[in-house]
Amino acid sequence: MSIRRSDEPLVSVMARDLAGGDWIELLSSPGAGHDEALQRLHELLLRAARQQVSRMQPALNGIGQVRQDDIINQAADEAMISLLGKLATFEGRSRFTTWAYKFGILQAAVEVNRSMWRHREVPLDDVHEPLAAGASPEQFSEAADFSIAVGAAIEQTLTDHQRRVVLALIVDDVPIDVLAERLGTSRNTLYKTLHDARKRLRAHLTATGFLPVTKTPELTP
Amino acid sequence: MTDRLHLTPEAAQRLTVDAEPWLSCDDCFHLVDRYVENLLSGDQDELPAMRAHLRGCSACRDEATSLLLLTAADAGTDPTRALQRLAQ
Repeated sequence: MSIRRSDEPLVSVMARDLAGGDWIELLSSPGAGHDEALQRLHELLLRAARQQVSRMQPALNGIGQVRQDDIINQAADEAMISLLGKLATFEGRSRFTTWAYKFGILQAAVEVNRSMWRHREVPLDDVHEPLAAGASPEQFSEAADFSIAVGAAIEQTLTDHQRRVVLALIVDDVPIDVLAERLGTSRNTLYKTLHDARKRLRAHLTATGFLPVTKTPELTP
Repeated sequence: MTDRLHLTPEAAQRLTVDAEPWLSCDDCFHLVDRYVENLLSGDQDELPAMRAHLRGCSACRDEATSLLLLTAADAGTDPTRALQRLAQ
């Protein structure tokens, strides 16, 4: 039996007492301890969701405590469904509690962003407006000019889709899950678009002398 | 150039982060529990792609930070050094 530290939540003590294999066994099959394990798991997910919502407080401007509690509970419920559907993928590479927490944290982040952007428009208009030709490194100076060079590279090297995505994510700070939802795609797919766009930008900026040559980036078609 | 392409230096830096080698957000989610525990235990970073992904994806990095803080609190561990390694 573990000894509980005075500042430690009770749920941590209960969870720590179960090994990963015990969790899987109890959660996988109805029987003695199944309901209690589900309850403990939900408490872990609530704790994770609460932690994430707390860390996102600056983004929650104007959202009251009641609504925040709703978000936390909803995130824990959604995370519970997601986790139980992936129980078979737990490989014991980490503690079960660490593995479980990540589901609650992810879902809470998604819920907070969804809530904060529910009534906000996501700017996705095509901003293409050709730059004057002939911009060269000599026309730029130091740090602020690197920003201008990056802006020019965005116009000159990215596809319309890449441009819309990187501007929404980086310039307009649209959360990636919100953008994914609006575009009917996934975080994974949007990150791949961002990743490929960065490769193009870095290759262009290296070729034009704004970034040092480290290695030759490969362009993704 | 449109106003949205008048980038701040911070935005320009974020747009040109070197996030190689490639790792997807799904793979990051799959690995992040082990990665965070390794950081907290002071083990050598064996997942350079994970570090690169966390440099390039602010959403995954923010969630990994939450996981690290929560796991450190459970273990009664000071997260400071692990947080520094996470942010590298």
